[in-house]
Amino acid sequence: MQSDDMIWQVLNHQFCSFKTTIGKALSDKQHFCRHPYSVTGLCNRTSCPLANSKYATLREEDGRVSLCIKTVERAHSPKNMWEKIYLSRNYSKALAQIDEHLQYFPKILIHRNKQRLTKIHQYLIRMRKIELKVRSGRKAKLVGVHRKVEQREERRERKALVAAKIESVLEKELTERLAKGAYGDIYNFPESPYQKALQTAEDKQEETEALSDEEEEDEMESMVEYVEDLDSEEEIEDEEDMEDMADYLGDGQWGDRHDNSDEHGDEDDDDGDDNDDDKDEDSASRKSDYDNLDERKRTAAQNKRNNRKKGPRIEIEYEEEREDQIQPSSSA
Amino acid sequence: MTARPLVSVFSLTGDKTGEVTLPMVMTSPLRPDLIQFVHTNMNKNKRQAYAVNIHASKKVVAQSWGTGRAVARIPRVGGGGTSRSGQGAFGNMCRGGRMYNPSKTWRRWTRKTNLKQKQQAVASALAASAVPSLVMARGHLIDQVPELPLVLENALEESTTKTSAAKTILQAVGALADVEKAAESKQIRCGKGKMRNRRYTLRRGPLVIYKSKEGGVEQAFRNLPGVELCCVDRLNLLQLAPGGHMGRFILWSQAAVEALDKMYGSEVGQKRLPVSCLTNADIARIINSDEVQSIVKPVKPGQFDFAPKRNAVKNTDALEVLDPYAAAKRRQQAELEAARATKKDELRLKKREERQARRAQHKEEGQAFFAKVSAQGDVCADGFKIE
Repeated sequence: MQSDDMIWQVLNHQFCSFKTTIGKALSDKQHFCRHPYSVTGLCNRTSCPLANSKYATLREEDGRVSLCIKTVERAHSPKNMWEKIYLSRNYSKALAQIDEHLQYFPKILIHRNKQRLTKIHQYLIRMRKIELKVRSGRKAKLVGVHRKVEQREERRERKALVAAKIESVLEKELTERLAKGAYGDIYNFPESPYQKALQTAEDKQEETEALSDEEEEDEMESMVEYVEDLDSEEEIEDEEDMEDMADYLGDGQWGDRHDNSDEHGDEDDDDGDDNDDDKDEDSASRKSDYDNLDERKRTAAQNKRNNRKKGPRIEIEYEEEREDQIQPSSSA
Repeated sequence: MTARPLVSVFSLTGDKTGEVTLPMVMTSPLRPDLIQFVHTNMNKNKRQAYAVNIHASKKVVAQSWGTGRAVARIPRVGGGGTSRSGQGAFGNMCRGGRMYNPSKTWRRWTRKTNLKQKQQAVASALAASAVPSLVMARGHLIDQVPELPLVLENALEESTTKTSAAKTILQAVGALADVEKAAESKQIRCGKGKMRNRRYTLRRGPLVIYKSKEGGVEQAFRNLPGVELCCVDRLNLLQLAPGGHMGRFILWSQAAVEALDKMYGSEVGQKRLPVSCLTNADIARIINSDEVQSIVKPVKPGQFDFAPKRNAVKNTDALEVLDPYAAAKRRQQAELEAARATKKDELRLKKREERQARRAQHKEEGQAFFAKVSAQGDVCADGFKIE
């Protein structure tokens, strides 16, 4: 007389003694149904044995599986509500029986019952295996749950998730890709971040232009000289302390301060062996000396050479005309 | 609901004896919200007032010392000679001071509820008691009850005087499980209630509703744990929907059920029956009915049926759409893994064979050595020489 929907409304929003929950946070909450005749164990509109007048489950007692069917005609009589049909012990035959008895039931229900049958058969097999093992002498292994351990691991997982900073790493990666142009040209960007990104890109471009201008100047001034140390003549001029500049200049080559004033920015490979040796020696002390350098003294040109350094060794020929070559080291 | 079903009447031995039509009340709309509201109000009506003593903390003569004395400005007890002098008084923060907002006896303890609301709530609760699902969900054990609503013949109220007889009746009708559940649940109450005459807590069992108590129903049933009794004329929502949750398990006597029909109606002196806004609450059924479907417009053609989203993390085909390189890489890795797995088995077997061969060889050598040495005799006699 009262429809299923009404009953479900009451049970779901008011109180059902068979409903249990796991999960403290509202986002993790999962509802389960403790009713002995529930097909799935979950608390759903479609899985509720109380809120569906047409329902079917499988129950297993002592290894015998029975199909329990509930229909509207018997909904008022709790004693006779469930019609119990014992199924065959053969799995495929039982499946066929389910199909036969639940012929006019909704397909989802049939499917769920079959799934339940499968699960039941699986655990019965497992039970038999364990029993055989136990009888053959090997004791059944019971692994306990250590609440402290579990909670500790959970806590650590949460902290690791936070520490991973997944979103910021992703953001960096994606912006990098965007800067490199991996995504083509046309996109829908939000206005202000786009402008900001444009600004920074423009600034960088200005920097590189300034750099190339500086380099051109350098090359103009410098004479043709095969010297051991390269790059950064001006910077070395400015340097006061021998110690600071001691080891490293440019591409790991020894810098002779006094000769640097007339040197040009390009690298020479004639001192190949020396360069190699020096490089090996210098690589260790490179970083520390560079740290000591005055920030002012380190120009953009030097930074640029830093970056270039990481690339492969470049063999460059010195040429008179330099206006064409803005980034001489890029030819390799 | 025009056609009302017939409810079976059971004899005291559990066999079907007769039939009654279902009372109209049992088809009233289910209103859990209304029942909760009325219940919370009605529940407050039996409260007894409590309050702190009106003179509490006021029997002191205390004055603030004011500023300039390097103490807080709270009123302090005057005089001298005791430790009480100079102590703070009159504040909720002071020791021995009055509490914040002292409770008064003229607090509004009871609540008035509209009569119509109360009546409708009772009607709804009665309707809920006829739905087996709701009664089960509330927690009653009614799996062996032959029918809900459970109506017993009039002999229930006319000739049952002994509790033992009452127990057999309940057993015959399948209601004893609920009583036993209540009996098992008797616990000493937690909290101060136990020293305030509320020592034990108990689950609620069946509610027996009768028409007249002349026959001694009350005496018969009242000692059974969890069982409550009620006369039809004075139905109590606090018993019909304990805790604000509808669906109490009710045992009716035939006279009581018949009286319900006379109690509720539209005539003068009768209680009003609630009217629902939906006569048929099964909306799904309405939508799928012929009357509605025949008028509904056909499905619009060309509607996109979107396939469910496939997770590119799990599904390689979905990944291929986004990043073919990564998909190819993943497939290749999977193949490699598979190949490695088979290879691993082969390797393992091969290694095992080699190991066993080596072991056998070592064993042979060892045994040969031992044989040789034993033939030789005492090896260490002459400074450990082996020929």
